[in-house]
Amino acid sequence: MTLIRVTLPYLYASIAIIAVWQAVVTFTSAHVAILPPPALAAQTFIELVATGEIFIHIQASLSRVIAAWGLSALIAVPLGLAMGRWRRFENIVDPVVELFRPISPLAWIPLAILWFGISETGKIFIIFVATFFPILLNTVSGVKGVDKVLIRAGQVLGCEDEWSLFRKVILPASMPTIIVGFRIAFGTGWAAIIAAELVAAQSGLGYLIADGMEILRSDLVMVGMAVIGVLGVLIDSVFRVISNHCDWGT
Amino acid sequence: MDEAPQTKAISIEQLAMTFESIEGEKVEALHPVDLEISAGQFVALVGPSGCGKSTILNILAGFLTPTQGQALVGGEPIKKPSIDRGVVFQDYALFPWLNIIDNVAFGLERMGVGKKERLEIAAEYLGTVGLQDFARKKPSELSGGMKQRAAIARVFATDPSIILMDEPFGALDALTRRLLQHQLLEIWQKHKKTIIFVTHSVQEAVYLADRVLVMTARPGQIKLDNPIDLPYPREFTTKAFRDHEKLIYDVLDKELAKTFDLESKGRHVE
Repeated sequence: MTLIRVTLPYLYASIAIIAVWQAVVTFTSAHVAILPPPALAAQTFIELVATGEIFIHIQASLSRVIAAWGLSALIAVPLGLAMGRWRRFENIVDPVVELFRPISPLAWIPLAILWFGISETGKIFIIFVATFFPILLNTVSGVKGVDKVLIRAGQVLGCEDEWSLFRKVILPASMPTIIVGFRIAFGTGWAAIIAAELVAAQSGLGYLIADGMEILRSDLVMVGMAVIGVLGVLIDSVFRVISNHCDWGT
Repeated sequence: MDEAPQTKAISIEQLAMTFESIEGEKVEALHPVDLEISAGQFVALVGPSGCGKSTILNILAGFLTPTQGQALVGGEPIKKPSIDRGVVFQDYALFPWLNIIDNVAFGLERMGVGKKERLEIAAEYLGTVGLQDFARKKPSELSGGMKQRAAIARVFATDPSIILMDEPFGALDALTRRLLQHQLLEIWQKHKKTIIFVTHSVQEAVYLADRVLVMTARPGQIKLDNPIDLPYPREFTTKAFRDHEKLIYDVLDKELAKTFDLESKGRHVE
């Protein structure tokens, strides 16, 4: 029941988007290479599913995002915990973070190619840049937002050293905010696959779009875009379930 | 739990606290205080806001370092928070990610008590405060009064020698408050801990404590040290009870009048 209630708005939205798309095609009589009708895109999609090609692209993109996002989490969470807990450390690291943060993942493409060539590493690096900051910033604000009284309660209940306080109080108390960071980061990482796969990729949804552009197959471009959109929503809803599960309510 | 717990006395020697505001202005929160509290005593600290009663409590807990003097427990100066001095906070401070029984067992786990045993002890204390049916609930599912009962169970479970309570019933409605006062007295009489209980309410102080310290503001000082030797359970309506209340109110009123007088004359209150 809830599944229907949750998916229904997305279904309506999809119908509306396709209707507008079809209307634009009909009224402007756009050339098929500029704006293909929805039916053609659907046909292309079915072909890609039938040959299994689409799954290769999805798998390629997804595994890049997961690898980069996992790497970000491994580095950004401990760093964020330390920044949130020790003001002096934050004062040193924060300006560095703030200087790097406005630089778009796209801007890193040239250096990524120079440093890592056309290997998988370069693509993961681009997505890493996109996922790192949301996790870091949420971890920092999560730690800073831990109620002081909970820290005091931990101290008088036997967390006498900093490490046990971290493990037993600060980390679990900041977990909901950190998970929000994971969720946002997966979204920004997923959105960055286009940038990453511009770096000489042979597979992936970003490659599908770039390739479609080169060979003037806008139906391929639109299929790529649609799959990114739909998968983005699905992944986000998985995170939302995890997030709700971890939110104990206050 | 069964044998008489080892309770230690508290001595406070020339304890004073001065805070510095952001503008660099010095505010004396606590005028040098000397105080002896013997083991097993139930001491209530009453006084208006800003009289330094919470400051004393926070120093005893080890959350604040005094700017002058020292507080000793069993002859040892207090340096940092310890599991031997339990605290009950006004806003409960239960860990929201743990269910109630794990909250109560938290300190026991830190002490190294095995899982089976600590859950047994926790269940026993939850029973004492009437929460045995809520062991698996999360704190967010409980009312304020129930949360505070869980917090009281949590502090008694680790068997500290001293329990510090900072306006623990301040946020509760009158009926819940009565119930919790009653339960607290029962546990205290059973375990004979030293309790320092901060409250705004004169009636609550006289009802619970065997010694009431009346503090006044600006700077915080102890103006009256009033032993209450009435038998438990006490009745609000008896003459003896009211006499104690009157004695305390007289001191508080005099101080309040002084404060108002100073303010109405437009002089800065030190």
